[in-house]
Amino acid sequence: MSTYGARHYNSQATFSTPASTTLFRRLTWEGTVPLEVRVDSKELPANSDRGLECYYVQAPRVSYLPLLMPEIRRFLMDVVFDEAAAEILKEDEWWFESEDGIPMKWHWSIGLIYDNHAISHSLRTTRVAISGVPLKLTLHLASPPSDKLLLSPSVEACKQAFMGQLKEADFIRWGNTKRMTSLRKAEQDGIWEGIKEHNFDDFWRVASKVTPTTAPTRTQSPPPSSASVHGRPPSADPGNVPDRDGAYSVRCIPVRVYLPDGPILQDLVPPMVEDGSPNTLGQYLATHIPLLFPLQPPPPPPSRTNPNPQAPAVQQLAYALIQGVLAPPEAEMAWLGACLAGADGWVNVCVGLVR
Amino acid sequence: MAGAAPDTPIRSLPSWAHQEANQIPEEAISALETYKKKDPAKVVVRFKAVGNAPIMKQNFYKITASNRFQAVIQFLRKELGWKTGDPLFTYINLAFSPAPDDTVSNLFKSFATDGHLIVNYSTTAAWG
Repeated sequence: MSTYGARHYNSQATFSTPASTTLFRRLTWEGTVPLEVRVDSKELPANSDRGLECYYVQAPRVSYLPLLMPEIRRFLMDVVFDEAAAEILKEDEWWFESEDGIPMKWHWSIGLIYDNHAISHSLRTTRVAISGVPLKLTLHLASPPSDKLLLSPSVEACKQAFMGQLKEADFIRWGNTKRMTSLRKAEQDGIWEGIKEHNFDDFWRVASKVTPTTAPTRTQSPPPSSASVHGRPPSADPGNVPDRDGAYSVRCIPVRVYLPDGPILQDLVPPMVEDGSPNTLGQYLATHIPLLFPLQPPPPPPSRTNPNPQAPAVQQLAYALIQGVLAPPEAEMAWLGACLAGADGWVNVCVGLVR
Repeated sequence: MAGAAPDTPIRSLPSWAHQEANQIPEEAISALETYKKKDPAKVVVRFKAVGNAPIMKQNFYKITASNRFQAVIQFLRKELGWKTGDPLFTYINLAFSPAPDDTVSNLFKSFATDGHLIVNYSTTAAWG
């Protein structure tokens, strides 16, 4: 909900990060998705209060299903199940399934689950997808398909998977995990507490030590004007010494591409391309999945009859969603890595097919 | 609606509310099918014991790239004769535990060293 952490706006936790970066990190952090959780009617215990077995929640994109369980459980215990049923139910056997019959992974962020379902489900429905529609989840109370879920539903398993992803992202960026391993135990725990409590400042107090910034941390520049919000970061300007921790100085950006119904592609994504210009989302997609993102051919040479030729139109086949937002092809990969990555450090690009 | 004449719409919905979506172009569907095809290539995975984990006699294996990392973990457990519940922790490059649903292909592309994907295994959490 939009009230999450709003009162922390003026704190100084992210003092060394440019305001524009903080703004996008804040927008990413505050993003929520609507979920509709319905207990499988065949599994409802005797004496349940039928008709109330549906729970709606506006969940943070950066959160995880195991972290929602206490809230869902409390609702079911208070409103739906009677005491006898509450005693027999084993919460570690609960699991969620989408309306397409896909078990929902415990270790995927809720935003990723939502976007991945949106691009996959749109293959099957003839209705135009309207954003903001609740993701319908069936809650099963027994027999989890462990071979598909892979992890136990515990918060601890989710935390371990999350920390693993943070380290993998660190390794992609710098070729080692020194930044992650140099965090103290309290800091590592704190980063997860930030997720659990949905506290932006607590999370970024630690996360800013491992996530690259879009400007040199040593220059205390004046607050950016509205123009520079969309401008190139100072670290990429010629004449400025590239910052060691800058978004454009990483080896690669942690990126995964999700295609409808399945394949997940991961490859090395350098921040700059060979000619020294920043790698863009459009270039990246045209390089890795050219059949879905064909390169725009150049316009034909001008002639006397056609002095200003236009490039031939290419039918757009696919679109890219990042944090639920339609991402423009000119978005720079390094910038996406610093500003629109998930809490685990990964930029998740969900590719949908255009109708 | 009972009572309403069939050709007098009581109230028309805005056009977007009942708009039928167009078909997805054939070209896009076939592109998606191409990317869904499983990569039959095999890559070399090299297992390295950490701490007091038992050493494997053979530690180079060719594993199908489209397998998930979970399959590598299961293979390793079988080779070590591990029973269900015996602790086993796996890492890439002595650095991190990948997600079990990551594919060997993805991990190989990002983390291979000299043409090998190095998988470290330990009986205790080492870089957790």
